Amino acid sequence: MYELFEHTADLGLRIHAPDLNTLFAEAGQALFAVLLEDLATVRPDKSRTFCLANEDRELLLFDWLRTLLLAFDEDHWVFCRFDVHIDRSTLQATAWGEPFDLQQHRPGREVKAITYHGLQLRQQPDGSWLAEVIVDI
Amino acid sequence: MKAAYSGPLERVDETRWRIPRDYKPGMRVDGIIFASETLIESIRADMAPEQVANVAFLPGIQMASLAMPDIHWGYGFCIGGVCATDPAIGGVISPGGVGYDINCGVRLVKTNLTYTEVQPRLRELVRRLFQTIPAGVGRGGKYRFDPQETRRLMAEGPRFVIERDLGTPEDLLHTEAHGRIEGADPDAVSDHAVQRGSQQCGTLGSGNHFLEVQVVDAIFDEVVAKAFGLELNQVCVMIHSGSRGLGYQVCDDFLALFRGMPGKYGFTLPDRQLACAPADSPEGRRYIAAMRAAANFGFCNRQLLMHQAREVFAEVFGRSWRDLGMDLLYDVAHNIAKLEEHTIDGQRKQVWVHRKGATRAFPAGHPEVPEAFRSVGQPVIIPGDMGRASWVLVGSAGSMHKSFGSTCHGAGRALSRTAAKAVASDRVVEKQLEAKGVIAMATSRGGLAEEQPQAYKNVDEVVEVVHRADLSRKVARLRPIGVIKG
Repeated sequence: MYELFEHTADLGLRIHAPDLNTLFAEAGQALFAVLLEDLATVRPDKSRTFCLANEDRELLLFDWLRTLLLAFDEDHWVFCRFDVHIDRSTLQATAWGEPFDLQQHRPGREVKAITYHGLQLRQQPDGSWLAEVIVDI
Repeated sequence: MKAAYSGPLERVDETRWRIPRDYKPGMRVDGIIFASETLIESIRADMAPEQVANVAFLPGIQMASLAMPDIHWGYGFCIGGVCATDPAIGGVISPGGVGYDINCGVRLVKTNLTYTEVQPRLRELVRRLFQTIPAGVGRGGKYRFDPQETRRLMAEGPRFVIERDLGTPEDLLHTEAHGRIEGADPDAVSDHAVQRGSQQCGTLGSGNHFLEVQVVDAIFDEVVAKAFGLELNQVCVMIHSGSRGLGYQVCDDFLALFRGMPGKYGFTLPDRQLACAPADSPEGRRYIAAMRAAANFGFCNRQLLMHQAREVFAEVFGRSWRDLGMDLLYDVAHNIAKLEEHTIDGQRKQVWVHRKGATRAFPAGHPEVPEAFRSVGQPVIIPGDMGRASWVLVGSAGSMHKSFGSTCHGAGRALSRTAAKAVASDRVVEKQLEAKGVIAMATSRGGLAEEQPQAYKNVDEVVEVVHRADLSRKVARLRPIGVIKG
């Protein structure tokens, strides 16, 4: 589950999930929900795999989102579904989507970057996970 | 709900407020915010002053951590922040102190058309500008540069495109640093960054970037206005954009590289987003070379945006852009770090002036002011909001001893994007603007609502503060009549 929260000139993503794998998957969806007006217009026709490592889980989340943003901005891919497996400090993921097409996908907001400002990832007392990430618009 | 700042803010004089150095252990200098009594109340409402205090932790910081009256809450640095660091004593360079959009800036293009001449064709003009100039997410430009050409753009700045007839040598004379900051090294820029920017030179982007058709509606200094070639009812074009994805990626690459710098060079920082490296270290020097390359790309981007605007005007009015007098008044960066000489405690020093949402404002006589304006001072272009006004100011002597030759950069946000959308929808904003004689077009849903006039502080109040503080003086006020946005 994700929601957007306000930050004066920018935008915050708040993601809440029962486990870490789901949280990372939903964080990916939250990012593309900002980049596109309607995530439902993306067809999960093709997939790409990603592999990342970072000892620091917060930074692993940061690097994951930064990699996805680059896939959009550099290679012009849009994704709607993610399958993420985190094992200690490594992340293996498959993302489903298709090449970005202005005829089919209405663009949303331009995300300049994922920021470190206020970056948080923590386990809640009930065992679930909560993350907050501010993106620069 | 966002938190409000609860720390100290002591009044120094009519326009300055101090956060004393003893507010937080680790601050090396005071924080100083330029503001009026009214503005300081809204500034207290979020954590921006805390960010001014955090910047005071940076190794080598000189005089004070400064903020302009359009200050608002950013990430790491506040927006509207200025700081100078001395590389001779381990002073740092901070990518966060420049921002993701390296060389985000503004240029103002004049015309010899009056409002009366433009008004009957305004809708057609704005529509043609909107159709021609790429804006918003995912729209590439008509100019394509392969990686090798993109690297040349970064080394040479707009000169590279002017050689291809996309501008004139006079444009260079009226661009900060002649559009080419020395010491740029395109090889310090990653392939990812080059790839991200390769289709984006000559595109507006989104967020607060815009192209506006404006009318000079008040002159405050006849002599300077004449020197700048501005007069009442004259139509101008203001362009606000930066180095697009290329610059964002350079910042992102170096923030990641600088994660380990506090440990390596033995300093502590209160916020990860303030990541920095000594300016005179291998890492610092590499960032500087890449940042300068991205800045030159930013000047090129605005050059190509201007060229497209000139072509549209020529087509709509049936005369060449030269006949329409579409000369560039000036182009200034407001997200940048520059090595400049300043007098600090009676000593001349070379310092790294970081301007994160702040504009250079050199006074009359400064050697870096273009010759045409040297007797009056550097033109300062201040974009406001799409309903009220933008400004042309001139750099003033006070800036050299109070703010490292800097002034404000805009109105500064008053409402978050979500809060703004709750105030009025795109359609309502469009209607409100139309009632005021402004035709506005945006590519994205929410684009107009998020950027509506109510989302910003009143730029007139911001400008009044920098005028009274003698950082820059009022020359002319421009009101928007046509707006295109991403």
